[in-house]
Amino acid sequence: MIAVLVCLLAMLVFQLLTPFWWWIMIVPFAYGVAAAHTGGGAFFNGFLSAGLLWLGSSLCFFLTGSGIITARVVKMFGLGGSWLMIPATALVAAIAAAVSGYAGYAVRALVKRK
Amino acid sequence: MKWIRAIVSLLIAAAAFWGLDNRHGMVPPAGKLVNPFAGFWQNGTRADKPPGELILPGLRDRVRVVWDARHVPHIFAANDHDLYFAQGYITARDRLWQMDFQARYAAGRLAEIIGRAGLESDRFNRRFGLGWAAERAAEAISRDPQARDTVEAYADGVNAYIGSLRRRDYPVEYKILDYSPEPWTLFNSGLLLKYMSYDLTSYNDDRWMTVARKALGEAVLDELFPFEPPPIADPIIPPGTPWDFKPVPLPKRGETAAPARAHDSASPTASFCPLADGPAPVPERPEIGSNNWAVSGTRTRSGRPILANDPHLRLTLPSIWYEIQLSAPGTNAAGVSLPGTPLVIIGHNDRIAWGFTNAGDDVLDWYAIKFKDESHGEYFYNGEWRKSSVRSEVIKVRGQKDVIDRVVYTHHGPVVWLEGEPEPSNKSVPAGAALRWEAHDPSNEFMTFYHLNRARNYEGYLEALASWDCPAQNFAYADVDGTIAIWHNGKYPLRQKGDGRYILDGSNSADEWRGWVPREHNPHVKNPPRGFVSSANQKPTDASYPYYLGWDYASFERGTRINQMLAAMKDITPEDMLRMQNDNLSLRARMAMSRLLRDIVDRDFTATEKWALEELKAWNCENLAGLAAPTIFSRFWSDFNEKTWNDEKKGDLWGMRWPRSEVVIDLILNHPDSEFFDDRTTPQKETMADIANAAFHSAVKQLQAECGPPGRSWTWGEWRRAGIGHLGRIPGFGRERLAMNGGGNAVNASGPGFGPSWRMVVELGPEVQAWGILPGGPSGNPGSPYYDSGVDDWLAGRAHPLLFLKSAEEAGPDVVAKTSLRGAK
Repeated sequence: MIAVLVCLLAMLVFQLLTPFWWWIMIVPFAYGVAAAHTGGGAFFNGFLSAGLLWLGSSLCFFLTGSGIITARVVKMFGLGGSWLMIPATALVAAIAAAVSGYAGYAVRALVKRK
Repeated sequence: MKWIRAIVSLLIAAAAFWGLDNRHGMVPPAGKLVNPFAGFWQNGTRADKPPGELILPGLRDRVRVVWDARHVPHIFAANDHDLYFAQGYITARDRLWQMDFQARYAAGRLAEIIGRAGLESDRFNRRFGLGWAAERAAEAISRDPQARDTVEAYADGVNAYIGSLRRRDYPVEYKILDYSPEPWTLFNSGLLLKYMSYDLTSYNDDRWMTVARKALGEAVLDELFPFEPPPIADPIIPPGTPWDFKPVPLPKRGETAAPARAHDSASPTASFCPLADGPAPVPERPEIGSNNWAVSGTRTRSGRPILANDPHLRLTLPSIWYEIQLSAPGTNAAGVSLPGTPLVIIGHNDRIAWGFTNAGDDVLDWYAIKFKDESHGEYFYNGEWRKSSVRSEVIKVRGQKDVIDRVVYTHHGPVVWLEGEPEPSNKSVPAGAALRWEAHDPSNEFMTFYHLNRARNYEGYLEALASWDCPAQNFAYADVDGTIAIWHNGKYPLRQKGDGRYILDGSNSADEWRGWVPREHNPHVKNPPRGFVSSANQKPTDASYPYYLGWDYASFERGTRINQMLAAMKDITPEDMLRMQNDNLSLRARMAMSRLLRDIVDRDFTATEKWALEELKAWNCENLAGLAAPTIFSRFWSDFNEKTWNDEKKGDLWGMRWPRSEVVIDLILNHPDSEFFDDRTTPQKETMADIANAAFHSAVKQLQAECGPPGRSWTWGEWRRAGIGHLGRIPGFGRERLAMNGGGNAVNASGPGFGPSWRMVVELGPEVQAWGILPGGPSGNPGSPYYDSGVDDWLAGRAHPLLFLKSAEEAGPDVVAKTSLRGAK
């Protein structure tokens, strides 16, 4: 759980400092390469840390002035209610981070003791 | 095994990265777009809060921006440079994407953003010479220090804003389309001006008139498309107004005076350069209806003159106009500006008010060109072969190789469509003809606005009009001294009646433009005895005017209706003017149905036909959203015309339009036995009554198929499906399905995608009072409540009082925030 928190905080800092979305893939990948014990662990670390970060932050923006734009983007994508955009955003991050974390672990497995 | 697992999982991660980081067709890059820290989530209302203080290197002095309750900025500067710098900065803050997109569109650079989908429109705009025209305008602006300083200061302000942006601050459309803003230039402002000219003067029927002349003969065309409309049409300048000038003699065809040319040598400098919006494939007629009028103090309750203007353009979100007040020593003007260009375009200052409608004169001609061979390198002119030139247009296409288009230029102008090439979707372009267009000539229309913003009286207004060439406009005017006036103003070729109505001979100088109508001879009237001036895109003058300016003006209804109403009104108030702008009466329906309803008789009508006829009979001819009668009349009118004219326009004549409504109504009321009502495709002879009954029957039948049994789906508001779409056609970013009153020929002229883009009423007096409404709002951010904050009031016909401040210190309940701008220390 600490790893999840550390990854989440690292992503948060990078995302606040730069405009790039892909920190949510880089950080779990790095965790996978450097510290993951299992593939499943790396996968879920990415899934949870990025998912929670984007879930919380999108919810926060949604509640503080981004309601109108969310409704319009939802219409653009042809989705249902505006609130759906929050789990959808989280899911994008969670899946991207999870596959990246797992890929990081798979690389780590190559150099780990045979 | 481990290797395979590693490779596969890396590939999956890379695919996820690639998929989320890139746009796929028109699907936005999801990773970038939904990123809460830099994607669309950042485009909320937080940006609406005006900043307290900003340091903007480039400013010479302190500038204060006062924000009113509707989020409209009022800018107070110590000098002109800072004023227009601040205008650029503040406008970009609200409308950056819109101005950038429109300039790219006009320049033929959409494919750079949206890929191949933008290619046809890009090629067309370049063929039409919009970029070439803007280059010439930019040169003319650069030669005039005042104009150059104004437009450059504005560009510097825009660039100061662009320079301050982090990616997360980009307008959301950049994030959806996945590109970045680029520096703004003086050339871009020129492009927007030329795009306006395209929108307002490119509608042209020369191609189809030429085809029709061949089939029907000139005499028939002169009857169907008369130079002088029937008397039910009322011109802009009141008939009987004496002309206060001595006309210059008109050059005869083939006279040897040097032709007035687009450019003397055919050598433009070489090597120039569903989300896609742009003009409709065949340019829509701007006649859909701008109105302006000014009434003298002798007719108003307050004794002060009142001016009203509602320019009608393509309706989009963000709004085409941006409300602003601009104040510096020597100027204090308020009204609307065009994002991407400095100055107030339509508005008032503390002494005068002005407004525009499109003039609709013929300033665009086509010249048939005979090329020596397929290389198009030489063309026949005055008995010899003359060299053409080629401008290579390099069109960048996103994700693909550049497309290079060779545009052939003659001394007349560019050849838009060469024979043998695929036909452009704009069907008014003839094959193998060169385009001679007033908007291609170097001009500097910004100075008109510069002077209007500062004008103190009628002389100042005249000075402003002197630099206006294209697109010609009807400039309505009123001032605190009680003067009202209207000038039908532009730069017009001097020519014989009818010249340029058909495709001209490009191989002979005899057909070319020969000089210009002297500016002071343009149609105008000042303080007419009737106590008002008005225009609604109709023919400017009666037959007594000594020059020929064109033949293809808006149909009679709005002009006649406005004049009837103004003539009948007394003790006029600003509220009356606003009510007039929202007048929904269809004079067309009233006049046509006064006769045709007598001819439509119940012969075994179905229940729906009986109902439809009763609806029409009970109708007061107002186009109201809740009524079915406007729908029935609209379809009936179109079927009545189709059955009257389509037997005349067979075969090659498909592109020929129907005669104007005043001609049709004149036939109905005064010549019901006209041969035109006979359907030439049948052995028997049809009468007007036969046509009316057949049209009524088919109209109801079609509507029934479309809308089902009588009910809500038949109402005008439902049937028209009018709405205000997003400029880039992004779904969900507009306001769809609005139940709009009005119609194409009502004063409240509206249609799907068209309508009053700004309604303004100004009462001149010691304290100027103004009211206005936009079918949108100040903000260009679809995530802001100010994006479409005016739409509901606009729809309901309401307008807001416009705050006009004397100084930045003025306080009041409408002032909600202030921003201070300073240059770098």
